[in-house]
Amino acid sequence: MKDQILHTLQDLRAYALQKGVEASFFYHEEDSYLMRFANSAISLNTNERLIRLEITAHKDRQRASYELITALDKLDEMQRGVDIAAEMVQHAQPLSYQPTIPVYTESFSDESAYDPALATLSNEERLAFFNRVAAGLETDAIQLSGIFSCGANILAQINTRSEHTQYFKTSDAQITIVLSHTALKWEVSAEQSAQQKADLNPDVLRRDLVFLVEHYQHDTPQQLPLGTYDIVFGPSAIADLLDFMGFIGYNGGLMKRGFSFLNEDQVGQRVLSSKFTLTDDPTRRETFPFQRDMMGIARQPFPVFANGVFEGFVWSQDEADEFGAQPTGHTVMHNSIVMQGGDVAASTLQELVAMPRENDVLYIPYLHYMNVVNPSKGLITGSSRFGALLLKKDGSVVVPYNVRLTQSLLDIFGDKVAWLSQAQVVVNASSSYGARNPRAIIVPALLQVNGLEISHSNPSY
Amino acid sequence: MGVLGGFGPELFDKAFDNARVAAERVTFPVRLAEKDAIQASFTSPNQIDPFTVPLADKLAFMQAMDAKLNQPGVFQRICQLTFTRKQIVFMDSEGSEIEKTIVEVFPSIQVAGLDAQGQMHSRTYQPPRMGDTRGWETLDMEVFSENAERIVREMNEVLAADDCPKDVRSVILLPGIMFLQTHETIGHALELDRILGYELAFAGGSFVRLSDFGALRYGSEKLTARADATIPNSPGSFGYDDDGIPAQNNLLIDKGLLVGAITGRQMVEEANARANKVIFDGSSGANRATSFYRVPIERMTNINIDPGDDGTLDDIVSHTERGIILDGDKSWSIGSNREQFHFATDIGWLVEDGQVTRVVKNSTYQGETVPFYNSLSAVGDASTWEVQYTPNCGKGQPNQIMQLGHGVPVCRFDNVRIGE
Repeated sequence: MKDQILHTLQDLRAYALQKGVEASFFYHEEDSYLMRFANSAISLNTNERLIRLEITAHKDRQRASYELITALDKLDEMQRGVDIAAEMVQHAQPLSYQPTIPVYTESFSDESAYDPALATLSNEERLAFFNRVAAGLETDAIQLSGIFSCGANILAQINTRSEHTQYFKTSDAQITIVLSHTALKWEVSAEQSAQQKADLNPDVLRRDLVFLVEHYQHDTPQQLPLGTYDIVFGPSAIADLLDFMGFIGYNGGLMKRGFSFLNEDQVGQRVLSSKFTLTDDPTRRETFPFQRDMMGIARQPFPVFANGVFEGFVWSQDEADEFGAQPTGHTVMHNSIVMQGGDVAASTLQELVAMPRENDVLYIPYLHYMNVVNPSKGLITGSSRFGALLLKKDGSVVVPYNVRLTQSLLDIFGDKVAWLSQAQVVVNASSSYGARNPRAIIVPALLQVNGLEISHSNPSY
Repeated sequence: MGVLGGFGPELFDKAFDNARVAAERVTFPVRLAEKDAIQASFTSPNQIDPFTVPLADKLAFMQAMDAKLNQPGVFQRICQLTFTRKQIVFMDSEGSEIEKTIVEVFPSIQVAGLDAQGQMHSRTYQPPRMGDTRGWETLDMEVFSENAERIVREMNEVLAADDCPKDVRSVILLPGIMFLQTHETIGHALELDRILGYELAFAGGSFVRLSDFGALRYGSEKLTARADATIPNSPGSFGYDDDGIPAQNNLLIDKGLLVGAITGRQMVEEANARANKVIFDGSSGANRATSFYRVPIERMTNINIDPGDDGTLDDIVSHTERGIILDGDKSWSIGSNREQFHFATDIGWLVEDGQVTRVVKNSTYQGETVPFYNSLSAVGDASTWEVQYTPNCGKGQPNQIMQLGHGVPVCRFDNVRIGE
């Protein structure tokens, strides 16, 4: 299959050259399997095998793209796509900068993050995983939801500047399990990411769900008073916050557009907590990494923050071209973000609950529907979901209704940081929008931030 | 299931295996509400198919739009014309054969600038649907020119403005944000699959319960909302849904009382069975799929608010003691059961004693859905009513993008927290 893909790209390159078209080809193939659960049933069990081809025609500063869903034996259809892109580029308004077309000096192939055993898990194996996690936890009132998504992803590239190709193949799985009460409407969840089959561990998910269900089933929920709280974020919440930092923080192009809470004067300055170290680390295979970016640049670990000091913006090639910066190997579908752990041994919810504490602590494992309120201030908003707990200083545990946080990332990751777990957790951050793009963020298992304000508190679930 | 490269035996083998294993976990056997077998076709109304317009003409139109935006203070300008054509052939074993051709034009312009603190602010114009068609002929350069001048002026006013105060005030929502308020806290909240828990793994549920239909006072008596898939000029009108059900115009909220939902054939059967009574008399014709490889699910059609009898925007403002007029969908975040929300808007105008006083930037408002709609104190007349479109509503796992619309008037809500 790999040879067939690369031969097809070579044929398309030859066709473009013959037509006198400067073109780039981006091939994406996914073999996706999704088992979806709702109301304790399998509500959808589907698979999709799709090939997408994006053809970009270039003419000096003009650029135009055409994308189609196709099949490898439909070369005529792909060639028509080249013709269409070539026609479109004639009419494209020139960019204000000269875009770079990469010249690959050698062919590159990376299948190191591909495990066929994970990519082709059977229906029975996926169902067995769910059944094992949920065994004994479902009742007439407590229902199971979730997804088991797994598959394989292939990316391949060529352009008319050189005959060399780039080829990437990965396997991934994303598991989300939700238990919810049909009448009371509470919901708790557990998540897992896998790059290879050996990463799958249903017992870890089950451990967390058993603990949360026990509290949510038997404790009386409370509406929290508005005010400031010491908050411990769980892995999903931390990863989501870091995702937004990648969007409105250290992205060079967005900074230049005034859509960032960081600026160039802050490079080399301490901006965040000295406990905060963030790296884009493509050596971590759990992040489904790109060892090379789409421009053929070899990717190395790239420090973003070191002990709170801002080390620099990341620049994709196109943004670097536009703003006169140096590209940093970040022309990729996703980065490999790793947040360093701290010095606290507690890494599970159970261990957190058992920790002695001087104040009440609000545990928020997940932030729902986060969005940017004001990028220049790093201000984001989102609501707690999926198993928040108020850990009282007397050792008792209270189930709270969901709350809203509207806070600056500068505060969340700034001097209000109290501690981080030593242990790290892999959080699968893939979405099912558009083409499959498995990605994961590695974060400390727990992060405590003191004195954050809750801006809204629900009176019910 | 979607597999490229034709319909071979392997496709059916995989589908059968998927179904075989899915059958091991069934809690409510799939039953579909009754329907008539229909042989029909639907074509969205267009005078000029945009796909017949030469590319050079389209680009010339965009460049003319862009030229209107190239004004002092503008740091970045975006002009967008999106054209879509869907050809759908629907057949089922119940005897339906329906062919649909749906063509849409989605235009928008946006300007952005940097204020003295380096913060970016933007203003967008997405023209409401006008006339009875959806084709190339709906693009009116005169309308774009007027609104380009307006959004540049308003953006520059925002750049020079103070921050929105933290306060509790009446909020007057123009259609440019009221459509999204409606979308997020009426539309999604009333999708029956969400209500029944079919979206809990990701998107969330709904605060609405089956027992709420006919009983819940969702809003004040000024609130009447409907799912109307029959208005001709909106992407939420599609002739027949992807279950083969004809488009309908159904009340969702009648003078504040919850009476209906956005439904498809499977969910209404399950809801009625769970409630042990007939809540929904058949499908409301709202099941749609984003593409051939995704299953139809409950999607909004045109979720509209009926115009009221509180006059024009000026009339509403003149009867507002302390308020803020808001417009533009800058940011939105909604609780997982659609029970509460936080919105940020592109622009705000403070209102004091019935007069607009000044522009403010970084405007936000937040609230709880049911108390918020029960605080609805004024609904503009038909002169304020606009059909706004949503070209990219996302829902489901795997995700599906859908096009729909919202016909909404200017609305005023009281005692709302702003500026947080």
